[in-house]
Amino acid sequence: MNKTRTRLALAATVATIGLLLSGCSGGSSGSSDPTDVSPEGEIVPREISWLLSRPSDGGVITAMEQIADEYAKDHPGFALNLITTPDRPSYIQKYETLAAANKLPELFDTDATPFAQKLASQGTMMDAEALLKDLGVYDDYRPAALNYQRFDDGSLYMVPFEFQLEFFWYNKALFEQAGVEVPKTLDDFPAMCTKLRAAGITPIALDGQDQWPLERYMAYYPFRTAGPDYVQQLKKGDAKLSDATGEQAVQWLSDLGSAGCFQDGFSSTGYSDAQASFTSGKAAVYNIGTWELNSLATDALDPSVRDDIDYFTLPVTADSVTAANEYVSPSGIGMAVNAKTYDPLVRDFLSFALKRYPEVYAATGALSPTTNVQTTIPDNATPLYQRAVDQANDVGEKTAMPWDTQLDPTSNTRLQQELTLLLQGEVDPDEFISTMDGVIADNGPKAFQ
Amino acid sequence: MLPQRSRLSVLVFLLPPLALYGIAVLLPIFQSLFLSFFDWDGISPMLFVGFENYIRMFTGDTVFWIAFRNTLGYVVICLVLQLGGALIVASLLTLLRRGREVVKTLYILPAVISTVAIAFLFQRIYSLDPEGLINQVLEFIGLGNLQNAWLSDVGTVLAAVSVPEGWRFTGLYMLIIYAALLAVPAELEEAAKLDGASWWQTFWRIRFPYIRPVWITTTIIATTNALRGFDIPYLLTNGGPGQSSELLTTYMYKTAFTSTNYGYASTISVFVVVECLVAVGLIFLLLRRKADA
Repeated sequence: MNKTRTRLALAATVATIGLLLSGCSGGSSGSSDPTDVSPEGEIVPREISWLLSRPSDGGVITAMEQIADEYAKDHPGFALNLITTPDRPSYIQKYETLAAANKLPELFDTDATPFAQKLASQGTMMDAEALLKDLGVYDDYRPAALNYQRFDDGSLYMVPFEFQLEFFWYNKALFEQAGVEVPKTLDDFPAMCTKLRAAGITPIALDGQDQWPLERYMAYYPFRTAGPDYVQQLKKGDAKLSDATGEQAVQWLSDLGSAGCFQDGFSSTGYSDAQASFTSGKAAVYNIGTWELNSLATDALDPSVRDDIDYFTLPVTADSVTAANEYVSPSGIGMAVNAKTYDPLVRDFLSFALKRYPEVYAATGALSPTTNVQTTIPDNATPLYQRAVDQANDVGEKTAMPWDTQLDPTSNTRLQQELTLLLQGEVDPDEFISTMDGVIADNGPKAFQ
Repeated sequence: MLPQRSRLSVLVFLLPPLALYGIAVLLPIFQSLFLSFFDWDGISPMLFVGFENYIRMFTGDTVFWIAFRNTLGYVVICLVLQLGGALIVASLLTLLRRGREVVKTLYILPAVISTVAIAFLFQRIYSLDPEGLINQVLEFIGLGNLQNAWLSDVGTVLAAVSVPEGWRFTGLYMLIIYAALLAVPAELEEAAKLDGASWWQTFWRIRFPYIRPVWITTTIIATTNALRGFDIPYLLTNGGPGQSSELLTTYMYKTAFTSTNYGYASTISVFVVVECLVAVGLIFLLLRRKADA
């Protein structure tokens, strides 16, 4: 008996030592100086990796593969290993686990989240502003594209690879059938939905499964009535949803719910089903960005609805403090450069790639995050394609930030859950407000201290 | 008492798996226990907080209790389907004269299919728009007014995410129970029948006591599996709408990998371990006591 006890104690001790060792290996930070963007030394080609969260057949990866091949021709031994996890929650798990183990590759994707800000403050990421300026490409970028990547203090640690505009796509024929007009203000939405419902049409197709599309609607009203600063204050607990701004926004959402704006069972509808509901002429409105231009503004679109599709941008409110040409214009998840593995090779490759990228990327029909190239309109495009692309030059200064990149992750998760309940009528606006204010008060200030 | 050489060889063969078990199972459990006393986001220095995480879990976290309640509901539905279903199918199977192998294979099939495929399958089955199998059938038999978005309704979603998990492993437990039923001596049953025992009496007095040890093991496996259930609810609804299908496991996962609160997530995982141990203890206590009675 005694022997067993000794052995158990021994095993426990060994386990604890193991724990301590594995626990300690996490927190150490990069050794290089994040502002030393032009390190001296020889360029020695090797394989570098980019951990990213983008569609594997999408424009960014296709363009970067081509650029890496071009670079490898002049630099034998170089290779760019692209490791993509398009599903965002899975990606974040992978990236955060690697960060905890101090095993991030040379390049990795991240939004401007509190977690990324911690990494930046620990010196794990290269200063992107200094890097872009040093490479002489900083001024090529659309200010909106860079601003989207910045942390609250204005610092820039991520490089954008895309530029998107988010529109409300709508079906003119269905609008006519139900006798509704394009909403002039956000307050026209509930009435629009009621009329469309009465005509037997699904008002708005929503991908509720992925949560972020519904969360956009949470961002719209406060962006119009209080501007982009509201969410900045809210996330730190300096503003509350129980304020007039928040209350109006929550009431608007609740009205959308009671007017039956989204299809029944929206919370379990996926991305492609929501889109199919719009492109098959079942739903009248669909809120999505220009990354779907290939499906919505080319002959890939069902001929029966092709001529009926149009779009409008985020409507204003009566007392709007932001202009009609200011709405959600994200530059996608950004790319961070690992300071620990930054060397002359990484710099040289980035210098080559970032100068070459806009041209290659714009040729795929996408909007470049820079202003120095023209997007190639595909041969099979409808007139809407060109209009959407031109719209990018008319975007105002302020951008509506998606709340999922703003709030701390715990408040964000809870907000997504509570939003579904609010829209389904399971909780009333007051309950929603008190729950969310409580959750943000518990988690927000701590995350942004 | 084994001779010295045999004892040595037994040790040689037993130690490697024991070491593996220690590294793969015990170490992570102790690691979680250790982490549960810290506040740690993975990249900042670890901060010792004592029992704060436990106090928060038991007194300040409403989602935890919702998740716990949902987990219990999930376990009950899974057990009814898995054990109840398995017992019924296995009993019927013993009555079958032909085609037993085919039926067995068909029932075990879902256990072989990948979880992701099953989740997608059920997503389609439950779907309202486009209309899935259940809603189509309801429409077909004239019960169109009962059509529902099963995964969006807070009243039905927990059952909806439990059923695929229950259905999936019914075949597996059926096989185990079927094997146990085959071992029940036919003479005993025949003797009972001659004495005028009904089918139910034969089953309850002869068959069931005979398979009780297997039944206990099966119950333990099924219960602990259900308590650790994660993949299908995570893939089907990710705990939603709201927290209606949030289980302790999905909540723990989100706390660790979305909120990067590894300390608190470890606290929840310690609770899951304790909960499994308590469940096993209870099953032993209840079923053994009956056996002794």
